[in-house]
Amino acid sequence: MSAILSATGLVKSFGGVQAVDRADLEVISGSITGLIGPNGAGKTTFFNLLSNFITPDDGIVQFKGDRIDKLQPHRIARKGMVRTFQVARALSRLSVLENLLLATQNQTGETFWNVWTQPKRIALEEKQARDRAMEILDSIGLIQKANDYAGGLSGGQRKLLEIGRAMMTKPELILLDEPAAGVNPTLINQICDYIQYWNRQGVSFLIIEHNMDVIMGLCDRVWVLAEGRNLAVGTPEEIQTNDKVLEAYLGA
Amino acid sequence: MFSYLFSFDAGILTYVSFLITNIAIYAMLGLGLNLQWGFTGLINFGVAGFVAVGAYATVVLSMTGLPLFVSMVAGGLVAAIFGLGLGIATLRLREDYLAIVTIGAAELVRLVVNNESLVDGKPGAIGINGFPLPLANFRPDIFTRYGMVLMLTGVFGLALWKLGHWCRRRLVSVRESKNKVWLTAVTVVGALVLVRADVVTTIAMLNFKDNQVVNGLLFCSVLMAALVFLLVETLVRSPWGRVLKAIREDEEVAKALGKNVFSYKLQSLMIGGFITGIAGAFYAWQQSNVYPDNFKSDLTFNVWILMVLGGAGSNPGVAIGAAIFWIYTTLTRDLSKLLPMVPTSQIDAFRMVFIGLLLIGLMVWRPQGLLGNRDELTLGK
Repeated sequence: MSAILSATGLVKSFGGVQAVDRADLEVISGSITGLIGPNGAGKTTFFNLLSNFITPDDGIVQFKGDRIDKLQPHRIARKGMVRTFQVARALSRLSVLENLLLATQNQTGETFWNVWTQPKRIALEEKQARDRAMEILDSIGLIQKANDYAGGLSGGQRKLLEIGRAMMTKPELILLDEPAAGVNPTLINQICDYIQYWNRQGVSFLIIEHNMDVIMGLCDRVWVLAEGRNLAVGTPEEIQTNDKVLEAYLGA
Repeated sequence: MFSYLFSFDAGILTYVSFLITNIAIYAMLGLGLNLQWGFTGLINFGVAGFVAVGAYATVVLSMTGLPLFVSMVAGGLVAAIFGLGLGIATLRLREDYLAIVTIGAAELVRLVVNNESLVDGKPGAIGINGFPLPLANFRPDIFTRYGMVLMLTGVFGLALWKLGHWCRRRLVSVRESKNKVWLTAVTVVGALVLVRADVVTTIAMLNFKDNQVVNGLLFCSVLMAALVFLLVETLVRSPWGRVLKAIREDEEVAKALGKNVFSYKLQSLMIGGFITGIAGAFYAWQQSNVYPDNFKSDLTFNVWILMVLGGAGSNPGVAIGAAIFWIYTTLTRDLSKLLPMVPTSQIDAFRMVFIGLLLIGLMVWRPQGLLGNRDELTLGK
């Protein structure tokens, strides 16, 4: 039971506001880990610190044993840790399929001189990426929309697109920021099924979510954050009965 | 007005040749900017600076005896390096700041060449002339001339074929008959212009020796514009181009998916700059002299106008925008003949006012430009 991701003593303040204040977190390899807490607890900031979209003031982040807190965000993604956004961000004027193709890693055709020197290899890679993208689109139910502009998708479909896009990078760990927010109940169940399906294939997940059914149903372990600090950690059952958590977040 | 399209008068033919050269040069400028703005979303208001760098570098190098086309490529590279410097300094800024810095950098270039004496110790403000021009001493035999005709016909023929292809595809998808009439009319006019361009260039190539300077430049600029077009089309359709478009849409997403956004922005600025620099060499050749005042910001805005007119994000659109811009400029030039009682200065002012109105109208009714895709523009983020 080794940790794929561990953060120790993360600190971030914005002006006088201490958004994250010496918080820790650990994601066990192969697990689905939850991160919950009241609004303004610093969860999304914590995500930004982990993926280095915001640089921490202090603290250590390790992914697969290597320190990543000084690494640029795109390098972290290349190492196999991909994040999604709280407000789903579709690349509007790209087709749904292109959104996924973009996410493919190590593309020969993304280096511009290769466009002329290795056209055959690029064509082959594109074909393979396309097949894989269609497979993922099929599994998340967006295959009918493959050639539509992503900007035309509904909110829930955008959430699915983001998860699909993250999967396309062949990650080892995905950070999901509120995958179920603003999504109808049937679709939430679907999203949960996908997460479990991919988890069985070896992908670890860290999920921020306010929907307790999702958290309790999916997660092996849950971390609770309040006012930028760790409040509690444990299995969903332990968290549900933890007095401090009940007081600060869940309510009696 | 119709004389431009049908007359075989020698003066008119020369003028149309000049017009085609102009269109080719501005199409290159537009394509360079389109890569930066239309595909990557970088606001470059320093086009004139890139043109100046390319023009001056080419001219000065060629005067040292370096072969002309080597000088041109070097000019493009210097412009690309100018883009690199600009990019490293500004690309971490927010995009509105980038816009301001690029205007400033272009002015900086202009002021430098205005004050620096680059050739024979002559002051920069009086400009440089007497530099070598492409194919000016070229004496092609009849077969070479046929070859040149063939190459240019190939370019226009390909454009014609593309136009027909586009029209057929659109006719299928358009349901209303009113739109069909409109579409057919547009295609016929486009085809007419292309055929005319081919006829004029054929005559020019066959009589190459009558005016080597004009004809040589005509041949080179059309061919180079076609080459640049193929280059950018290949690039934007590749996975590389997909990353640029992703950055245009939302660079945070591109970053989250492992793309080095900064590097791609630099590449876009540099390749766009390279193209603009090459166009700058042609810009200098066409005027056969370079003055610092030729590189004021109105040059930048003309390129922006034709890009927006044709449709940012569409390479064929930009090429058509360049054609429309210059055909408009030429046709309205003759207004003074039709209205002799109005002073020329007022007509000139009116031409600018009218193109301004045209753009406002376009923004209201067709914000995506002539060839842009309306659906794309109305999508929410």
